[in-house]
Amino acid sequence: MNLQKMMDLPGALAAFTYSDKGDLQSHVLREGTELTPQVLDLLARSCVANLAIAGMEARGWEAVTGQGGFQPLKGFSMVGLEWSVVVDGNRGVVVKNRDADYEATFNALQAA
Amino acid sequence: MHIVKQLMAIPGVVAAGEYAYRGDRFSYEGALTDEFARMASILCRANTLSVNMQSEIFDSFAENIGCRPVQGWIVRGSQITICAVGNYFAFIENRDELLNDVMTIMRAKVGDVQDDLLVNLYARLGGDTKEALY
Repeated sequence: MNLQKMMDLPGALAAFTYSDKGDLQSHVLREGTELTPQVLDLLARSCVANLAIAGMEARGWEAVTGQGGFQPLKGFSMVGLEWSVVVDGNRGVVVKNRDADYEATFNALQAA
Repeated sequence: MHIVKQLMAIPGVVAAGEYAYRGDRFSYEGALTDEFARMASILCRANTLSVNMQSEIFDSFAENIGCRPVQGWIVRGSQITICAVGNYFAFIENRDELLNDVMTIMRAKVGDVQDDLLVNLYARLGGDTKEALY
């Protein structure tokens, strides 16, 4: 899925891709948004870290509890006051909370 | 209706609970043991503190961009998703529309969205929000 298609997701304010280390590689920003490439770069880095932590927790949880259904992880989202960032793999979308369709966003990122 | 009971009334919600920010108390309903609920509470509290710390860093780069205060986070597993908003958490199955319903209720009940009429309406209905609306 290219960035422009990701921007068609409900409430999308920005779409971006990043390297395994979290370096911002490409991005599209909705006109008028207060987000900046610098913030997207920071978001990408935090999301790489959060996905890694969530992966560790999922593995640990499954091992300790015997419950399944977590691994492999299909994404992570941080829900802010006005917008959420949703990431999976090396792609992410920032969506307005009011219009966000989290399921569609996770599914779109997975399919990309 | 208490948010945990409201969440547990929705088909597909496996467990839901509340934890103290101090980390030493918790309550829950659903398919968890006491020990697993304690672990889940600690996990959710740690992640919530972490994303709040990160949001303060974002804020130092660009103020008032709509991130703070952080409402919560979602971890999407292959079949189970964990949602955390404020000091509440929910383990839910990956069913159609369930994640959106749960997040709507949790944000309306716990988050800072009092001005959103529709969201508050959802929260007051309880149970299966779609069924109640249509």
